[in-house]
Amino acid sequence: MEKILITLNINDQPCEVMIYPNDTLLEVLRDELDLTGSKESCGEGVCGSCTVHMDGKPVRSCLTLAMEAVGTKITTVEGLANVDELSDLQQSFVDHGAVQCGFCTPGMLMSADALLKENSRPDEKTIRKALSGNICRCTGYAKIITAVAHAGNPQDHCPDCKPGK
Amino acid sequence: MSDYTIVGKRMPRVDSRAKVMGKAKFTADLKLPGMLVGKIKRSPYAHARILNIDTSKALALAGVKAIVTGKDTEGVKWGVFAYTRDQQFIQTQKARYIGDEVAAVAAVDEETALEALDLIEVTYEELSPVFDPMEAMTSQTELIHEDFPNNINIHVNIDTGHVDENFKKSYYIREDTFVAPEESYFQAEPYAVVARFDHEDCLEVWCPNGGPHMKSKPLSNSFKIPLHKVKIRKIAIGGAFGGRSEICPADYICALLAKKTQKPVKIEFTREENTIGTRQGHAMITTHKTGVDEKGQVLARETTCYMDGGAYSSTGPIATSVPFLSMEQAYRMGSVRYNGYRIYTNKPIRGMIRTHGRGFACGLDTQLDMIAEHLGIDPVEMRLRNSRQPGEYTSTKSYVDSCAMDETIHKAVERSGFKEKWGKLPPFHGIGIGTNSVQTGFPMGIRGGSQAFIKFNEDGEATVMSGVVDNGQGNENMLVQIAAEELGLLPEDIHLVSADTETTSSDPGSYSQVSTFVGGHAVKIAAQNCREKLFKVAAKVLKVIPDQLRAENRLIFVKDDPERSIPIKKVVRISLLNFTSVNAEGGYWPRVDMKREWVKNPYGQMCEAFSFGTTIVEVKVDPDTGQVEVLEVTAAQDVGYAINPLVLEGQFEGSIAMGGQGGMLTEYHEWKDGRCINPSMLDYKLPLACDMPPKINNIIVESIDPKGPYGAKEAAMSIAMSAAQGYSAAVSNAIGVYMDSFPLTPDKILAAIKAKKTETIHHKEHDDYEKNQS
Repeated sequence: MEKILITLNINDQPCEVMIYPNDTLLEVLRDELDLTGSKESCGEGVCGSCTVHMDGKPVRSCLTLAMEAVGTKITTVEGLANVDELSDLQQSFVDHGAVQCGFCTPGMLMSADALLKENSRPDEKTIRKALSGNICRCTGYAKIITAVAHAGNPQDHCPDCKPGK
Repeated sequence: MSDYTIVGKRMPRVDSRAKVMGKAKFTADLKLPGMLVGKIKRSPYAHARILNIDTSKALALAGVKAIVTGKDTEGVKWGVFAYTRDQQFIQTQKARYIGDEVAAVAAVDEETALEALDLIEVTYEELSPVFDPMEAMTSQTELIHEDFPNNINIHVNIDTGHVDENFKKSYYIREDTFVAPEESYFQAEPYAVVARFDHEDCLEVWCPNGGPHMKSKPLSNSFKIPLHKVKIRKIAIGGAFGGRSEICPADYICALLAKKTQKPVKIEFTREENTIGTRQGHAMITTHKTGVDEKGQVLARETTCYMDGGAYSSTGPIATSVPFLSMEQAYRMGSVRYNGYRIYTNKPIRGMIRTHGRGFACGLDTQLDMIAEHLGIDPVEMRLRNSRQPGEYTSTKSYVDSCAMDETIHKAVERSGFKEKWGKLPPFHGIGIGTNSVQTGFPMGIRGGSQAFIKFNEDGEATVMSGVVDNGQGNENMLVQIAAEELGLLPEDIHLVSADTETTSSDPGSYSQVSTFVGGHAVKIAAQNCREKLFKVAAKVLKVIPDQLRAENRLIFVKDDPERSIPIKKVVRISLLNFTSVNAEGGYWPRVDMKREWVKNPYGQMCEAFSFGTTIVEVKVDPDTGQVEVLEVTAAQDVGYAINPLVLEGQFEGSIAMGGQGGMLTEYHEWKDGRCINPSMLDYKLPLACDMPPKINNIIVESIDPKGPYGAKEAAMSIAMSAAQGYSAAVSNAIGVYMDSFPLTPDKILAAIKAKKTETIHHKEHDDYEKNQS
């Protein structure tokens, strides 16, 4: 198989990269572009650790061919923060103790970020449903759900929200 | 109220910022110049003699840099104890399970490595395998390990005496058997390891681990190189749950390939390999016989447990003991006899897991509920009559100092409304309680203690060096909080160097729940020693004696006159100008009985502290589908002292997910001829966000252990265990049948409901018949 040159738009940067036509987007991100924030955990589209955005929609990068990403806008976890300033969602994950081992965190953030872009005030049930394609083995999800619900939406009753931040 | 300023506070973890930015590096993320890809060839047979391995075709493949087989290993074997050293890193004689390591390859890329694996020709002579532990003990086929008759790997016998006598004195006796199959960790991060030999012939290794020092010693032994030449490096770890504690054959194989090629090598496990080729939880068949007096107090207990250990010993002696120990800590047992048998089978290797012995614990609790019902006592009272009290000795002679077991029961009962709900819920709606206790450490000989170093930098900030590892539970933050508290600094002033065997001293690792109690303690002492040095210098400047000083918020000030203060940074600089060191060390060694041994002498002080947990669960069962809907979980644990309540709550919630929701409802392995048929995340049912109970109540109980740092001890594993018990009790209560086979899957629940209906009809028919006769 011959390698081919493609251009991807990743985190608002054009990236020229030589790939095999059967390379997955996850392989290209991790192995060719050193964007290792996206993780491989199950390798078969079950766990959500590899979730990235394609034109704003969450996709499994382990099941997406890199070729499919040509002409789209890809966002990875590395593109969520504004240089060093965390997004509200990232900050909320930190503040609410939603991160334990952190391996599922990038995928979880990407699924949650996509949800919040569609619905900035989702209820608990909606959050649970939106995150049910992302497996976390450490947290039992409770703190993740609170972090998503309170992202950019601090609650007076919550001891971990820092209103006005 | 304590006057701590940093510990005891809800504080976001110091490691979470890098993790939410995708910057935290896990092993698979590493890329070193010239790095090769390693892959392992595994046995397709459950039991087979290896007659020949021909690597010539594979070696001829372009891009293949090295192949290793058992011949390259000089037959080195691994085992946690000298008497359990039964696992070769690459097999030379025979394969003992589907997945056993027989060869490995290093190549320029993954495709080439995989192609090379297929070109390695292994000639096997198939042997009769045995998959069932009960069958394995009587099987006439070739032993799995020739020096272990009847395939019995480990036999733990504990006998306090007077057992038969006390059964005779008992008012009521029951004997019941409980079964549970294997379970797996499914850490988010599949196993991966990177190894290289550096320019000084030192071996550098990055891999998920439950303690870097537990990895360096076996590698030092295997490669016959000094310990200082084995550098296990710090790396982010994507979960452990007991499954990363031992050395993994892949660690050795990766290092061997790196040695042979003189290049860095990376091995990444597939999800299936992570399930099959690391460790699993033991399958168990447990029989509890319990005798009680009229009040329900246990007078005698005899427990016999058969554990399917798989192909090798792993942590066998520990794994065979811990399920029993957890229960003898939680409950007074009267006189007790325990026989635990760990049996070899031709299945993957079983080791330590977070919910150690779910079938064992749930069985014991279920039986208590059965006895309580017979005696007309409610489950809460039954537990209170048998619960461990402070100041007692366990059956195996461990002194229990701090113990707030009863408080966890009372608080969980109150919060969950157990008393108002028990016996009053509608059909197929149930509530149940479970209680458990977990060790804060195991006797670990010379590796039982931890030592820490602290150095002050001239800018007034400090670097803390500790061997403690963080698998995701928040150990790093714990160390930072403790150091900041004691040094009078802010968490952001502490730089942590940890989990690296080159720069840190020996540490027992995280797997015996001892990181805070021992490793945190060592940092606390080191920080106190460091502070003492600063106080001596500051006292001169402030013209007081050191005892009058306190350090807080980057200042040292006079306690009675806080206006008189000096910045810590200034004290550091004055010290350096006065030829005075501002570094310090500290160490902590738990006073355990060094003569206690898992098999030969299972008596004496096990560890210095025990945690106690109670979980109450409320469920609804759909009688048509057997599906369980969990409405509310209330978890209370005596953690000694909560160093960070925010982190602790997360640990509780994760424990409920793994021990209860997954462990009791959906998680188990299925097999066909020794092959695990659900090794993937698609087929093994892990709890999802939509599955978890909508309401979880966390109750932190603080008994302030006199030995623990600030009074802290093990945290959250008592929840994982008691959650399993609470879930099983709730389902049993909902359907009115005491369940004896775990996990409680819909098929079992439906069968139990059906059997009960039939039984009820039989009873009715019988009653009608009796009536008609009279």
